[in-house]
Amino acid sequence: MSPEAGIDADIEGPVSPPRDNGEIVFAAPWERRAFGLVIALCRAGACEWESFRRRLVARIAQDESRPYWSSWAAALEDVLADVNALTRGETDARHLAFLARPHGHDHHH
Amino acid sequence: MSHAPVSERHEDPAVRVEALEALLVEKGLVDPSVVDEVIEHYETNVGPLNGAKVIARAWVDPAYRARLLHDATKAIAELGFGGPEGHMVIAVENSPSVHNVVVCTLCSCYPWSVLGLPPAWYKSPAYRSRMVAEPRAVLREMGLDLPQVLRVRVWDSSAEARYLVLPERPAGTEGMDERELATLVTRDAMIGVARALGPATAGTHA
Repeated sequence: MSPEAGIDADIEGPVSPPRDNGEIVFAAPWERRAFGLVIALCRAGACEWESFRRRLVARIAQDESRPYWSSWAAALEDVLADVNALTRGETDARHLAFLARPHGHDHHH
Repeated sequence: MSHAPVSERHEDPAVRVEALEALLVEKGLVDPSVVDEVIEHYETNVGPLNGAKVIARAWVDPAYRARLLHDATKAIAELGFGGPEGHMVIAVENSPSVHNVVVCTLCSCYPWSVLGLPPAWYKSPAYRSRMVAEPRAVLREMGLDLPQVLRVRVWDSSAEARYLVLPERPAGTEGMDERELATLVTRDAMIGVARALGPATAGTHA
């Protein structure tokens, strides 16, 4: 387990997390997924957090009106292309294939 | 149907992210169960409670307070918080003459290990630009009206440094122990857009 495992024991105690601090952080499941993918990739060493952060800064600066998690997802694609892990063309192809699925397809998430 | 390249269409980011994950899993770059773990960790385990414990400890233990102000990353790790996304944290201390508030003007740098994930307003262009230009006005709109004699310091977080505000210990809390004190420390107090809660609210906040 991670070094944070010790936190878990306290979570349900008398000082359990102040729930009224808990605004909705993710408005849609894909936003949580995009967040988790970046952290998991960094932990696995597949990308560097600092490289991702620079891409995120650039994406946000590029279009301030774009929703935050959309910039996040775009930065993820940028950093994957930077390290030759995944090309935009591969993702486009899969994206189109998923869009072509029959209506009512059971999404994983 | 739009004629923009598929990667530039934003109408269904869910499908785009699903495609990304499918490819990353096939290439062995990511393990979906690790993604699940990461998300669950940030949603349930890592929250402002961690930071509240740090602040409460600093209120009751002057030696810990000194260590926190000297090297917050290390002092936070003493309580078991940190981890791969911990980054360098710097604690800034409120006093009767100085009020500190934190912003990230470039993106959303935030001390995740102690505060969890940032609230939506922290990431908004309005907060990020206005907090630097007119902090008193923004704080007043957020419900914190600071007297003119109080100096306001705005700290801009970055990859190098993420700031955590050490709020003043509220008056009338002399009889409270560390656990009770932690219930007075809100996320907003540690960002610097609010004060710690008064003792009358202890226990009702959790």
